[in-house]
Amino acid sequence: MTIQEFVSQLDQLSEKATKAFADATDADSLDQARIAFLGSKKGELKAIQKSMGAVPKESKKEAGLKFNEVKGAIQQAFEAAQARLLGGSGSRVADPKFDATLPGTAFRVGRLHPITQTINELKDIMGRLGFTPAEGPEIEDDYHNFEALNIPRVHPARDPLDNFYLSVAGKTNDGALSDNPLLMRSQTSTVQIRVMEDTKPPIRIVSLGRVYRPDETDATHYPMFHQIEGLMVDENVTLADLKTVLNLFATNYLGNEVPVRIRPSFFPFTEPSVEADYFWDGRWVEFGGAGIVDPNVLRSVGYDPETYSGFAFGLGIERLCMIRHQIKDIRDLFTNDVRFLRQF
Amino acid sequence: MIVSWNWLSQYVDLKMSHDDLVDRLTMSGLNHEGTEAFGADQAIDLEVTSNRCDCLGHIGVAREVAALYESELKIPDPQPATGSESIDKHCTVEIESPETCFRYTARLIKGVKIGPSPDWMQQRLTALGIAIVNNVVDATNYVMFECGQPLHAFDFAKIKDGKIIVRSATADEKFSAIDHREYTLAPGMCVIADAAEPIALGGVMGGADSEVSDSTTDVLIEAAYFEQLAVRNAARRLKLHSPSSFRFERNVDSANLDWASRRVCELILETAGGELLDGLIDVGQAPKTPEPVTLRYSQLSRLLGIDIPDSFVAPTLEKLGLVVQKSAETSITAIPPSWRKDLTRECDLVEEVGRIYGFDKIPDNVNVPMAASYRPKTDRVIDKIRGVMTAAGFDEAVTPSLVPQPWSDAFTPWSDSPPMISSQPMSGVLEEYSKNIGAVNLLRRSLVPSLVEVKRINEYRSNTDVSLFEIAKVYLTVGEDKIPDQPTKLALVSDRDFYFVKGVIESLVQMLNPAAELSIVACDNDLLDASQAGELTVGGEHSETTSRLGWIGQVSKSGRKRFGLRSDAIVAEVDLAVLEAQSVLIPQHSSHSTFPPVSRDLNFIVDDAVRWGELESTVRSACGELLESVHYRETFRNEKSDGPGKKRLLLSVVLRSATATMTGEEADEVCQSIISDCKSKHSAALVG
Repeated sequence: MTIQEFVSQLDQLSEKATKAFADATDADSLDQARIAFLGSKKGELKAIQKSMGAVPKESKKEAGLKFNEVKGAIQQAFEAAQARLLGGSGSRVADPKFDATLPGTAFRVGRLHPITQTINELKDIMGRLGFTPAEGPEIEDDYHNFEALNIPRVHPARDPLDNFYLSVAGKTNDGALSDNPLLMRSQTSTVQIRVMEDTKPPIRIVSLGRVYRPDETDATHYPMFHQIEGLMVDENVTLADLKTVLNLFATNYLGNEVPVRIRPSFFPFTEPSVEADYFWDGRWVEFGGAGIVDPNVLRSVGYDPETYSGFAFGLGIERLCMIRHQIKDIRDLFTNDVRFLRQF
Repeated sequence: MIVSWNWLSQYVDLKMSHDDLVDRLTMSGLNHEGTEAFGADQAIDLEVTSNRCDCLGHIGVAREVAALYESELKIPDPQPATGSESIDKHCTVEIESPETCFRYTARLIKGVKIGPSPDWMQQRLTALGIAIVNNVVDATNYVMFECGQPLHAFDFAKIKDGKIIVRSATADEKFSAIDHREYTLAPGMCVIADAAEPIALGGVMGGADSEVSDSTTDVLIEAAYFEQLAVRNAARRLKLHSPSSFRFERNVDSANLDWASRRVCELILETAGGELLDGLIDVGQAPKTPEPVTLRYSQLSRLLGIDIPDSFVAPTLEKLGLVVQKSAETSITAIPPSWRKDLTRECDLVEEVGRIYGFDKIPDNVNVPMAASYRPKTDRVIDKIRGVMTAAGFDEAVTPSLVPQPWSDAFTPWSDSPPMISSQPMSGVLEEYSKNIGAVNLLRRSLVPSLVEVKRINEYRSNTDVSLFEIAKVYLTVGEDKIPDQPTKLALVSDRDFYFVKGVIESLVQMLNPAAELSIVACDNDLLDASQAGELTVGGEHSETTSRLGWIGQVSKSGRKRFGLRSDAIVAEVDLAVLEAQSVLIPQHSSHSTFPPVSRDLNFIVDDAVRWGELESTVRSACGELLESVHYRETFRNEKSDGPGKKRLLLSVVLRSATATMTGEEADEVCQSIISDCKSKHSAALVG
């Protein structure tokens, strides 16, 4: 048999088989066609394959390629017909024992605490604005928590009743009597001081973490909460830079253009001090405190306030988190009922 | 501070609308919290920051309005008529404790007729929510809310010997206040006493005995300047907060005592009659003259980021009560008024000019230079850890850093030092069940007890499938007055079994560093069940030595009882710094063999005492370089066939060569050396 004859036989078979599969009207006629053309024993394709031995040696390769091509085409035609008639490959008849509507194998994914989710989001946003996260100790000394932040001894924030002052259990020494007693930090601003003590400007950091104040616990107060605090120090940092960053921050966090306003306020560690609000749901909502870093604070870390200026801002994480997720009672955040945690 | 619209209009023209006024006040520092209609009047609630004691009276607020609207401020000039008799003959004042009272003034009015105060005064005070008493007391309150200076009227007849002594309270001194309750005082509190006993608690509250009553005819008017801390401490310790203490705590205008005194006398004479004696008793320190402050115009734009015309500065400062001393081309020097003790530095004046000019004029779209930020390694490692924990089905908990004593003592693997104790407990952070467990005042040395409590809460609430983790600091005392060590830990609690939790930790370590090797040794801890507990260590290619990673174990029976836990729980706590040190944030590629693996199963009979970890390491070293992995399959006990105290350990090894396809013979050879090593080291007998 010449190669031409072989090829011509294959072409004819291909045409015939393709037509037969296309003409099949039900599973039976398709199966008959499958046996006739693709059957492993008496199928026509098998028969032609056997005749390949008669092709001259020098044309074997060409014959093989042609055979594979036709075999592929016939197989494809069969599968197409099968898909058309049976709605899928493989099984001819749907297995009545298999119930695809049964639930999938349980695979529980744990949830991050909503406070963590809020912190991560805020960190992300601040990161995009060039602020690098900084950490500081939660247990601080009076100097870093108050003195260096320009909070004088007479300031109400330093009242022992408003702070968790610390001493070693079992010792008679009353921590509050020491010159520089330890306490659980009442604000994340302490991190500003720690960072500035060790770093020269320019500085752009964001610090986040737990802070502590002995408030009576109720739906909106808890003696432990979280703050985020941003600090930027460089030459020529102004209140306009602060407003711009807060604007970008709010827009980023809330997802669309959100007007931000600043109004005068008072914090010992900033001058001027401002309160920032954002306009949401038809009213101004308090965002957090901010201001230009007080020159006394800059001096306390060895910066010359004539050369450098900076802004700082701080926000309460719980409030942002609660507004965002419609959480009504702050205590829910710390009870850790899994039915609560699994909602986020 | 509640401000009456009508009252305010006495000092400044209010031609603007209410909304415009409160908006401008908010934007200049007096945040509007709400307004309530009060008849024809409006009670406007303004938030006054603690540095602005001057705005705790209507005149101070009126001054702000005058500065904002560039209008005139009209302040009364009280000139009460006096009789010829001098006060000095009747009364003496002595300050024994100048540290609690800087200055004390007194005036005396004789022959008043106590009765109701006039309607206009009652209306204004009622609008502010102040209780009406009588014409004398109402007048003192009226002047306090007018100018911010608290005043007190004594029934002069009750002051023994007409003698006022201002002193510090003695220890446990008793005092009956106007509220007819007895208070126990402490040194440092400022007492106003007569020749016999305390008649008032300076700046906080008057005494019951000397209060003005219907039978009072002579009144002594006190206008004093008490020290902030003395008043605050007394008010807080005795829980006696009053509008008076509120103002003294924030520092009053010491130069205004005489004005306030004259003003209240004028009103009393007007409404209660009587005769004001000649003279003012004025003892103590004269008010300090404020220091001039210089403002360089260039600082306005340097700090505020906007250009404010130089010409705006002087009139603004003057409207706020500063006296311009010197005006130069590039700067201005002014003396702040006595009521603005918060203005001492250049930046204070920058704020004054800025806030009156309007912070709303500051742009919010300037070019802030770009800066690169980076994520610290700790943050990146913690993110990975959180990813693994949530993938393993653990929910994240956040629990308080202070714990009660029984929890503090329950689990202290990281340190033997005593915990630090807080001066204040955290209140309201315990669930009903744990309420009587003790004060929440110890810095925790482990997160585990807190998580066990969380487990209990969930168990109590019938929540099932509870696996939780927390990442937080613990606090390890290093010495008195020393900031404690504050390492971060990852703790886990789960109602699933030991091997599940161990598997999670193994996967976590694996994910952070594929080459790290985790091992476990027995440990002894009260909270944990001795047979299902261990100390975890980690080592591997990237660290020379092994480090202690933490602990894992099932909560013991006694531990469960201690925490009120009904069902089993596995807990674990690991050190984050060790995990971080192990972490490989940028894994490196190594090519793997293209030849097929060969797998062999081995079933050994060993003594119960043989640990899998020991057998595994023998298998590993027997395989050498051809080993790809060892897999534990199962433990099986059959006393009948194997005898007592024996177990079968079924394992598989996967072998693979990097250079060729392994033959069956080669694999069998490896198995033979495994079998002989296990026999010699562990007396392990191969089954079958």
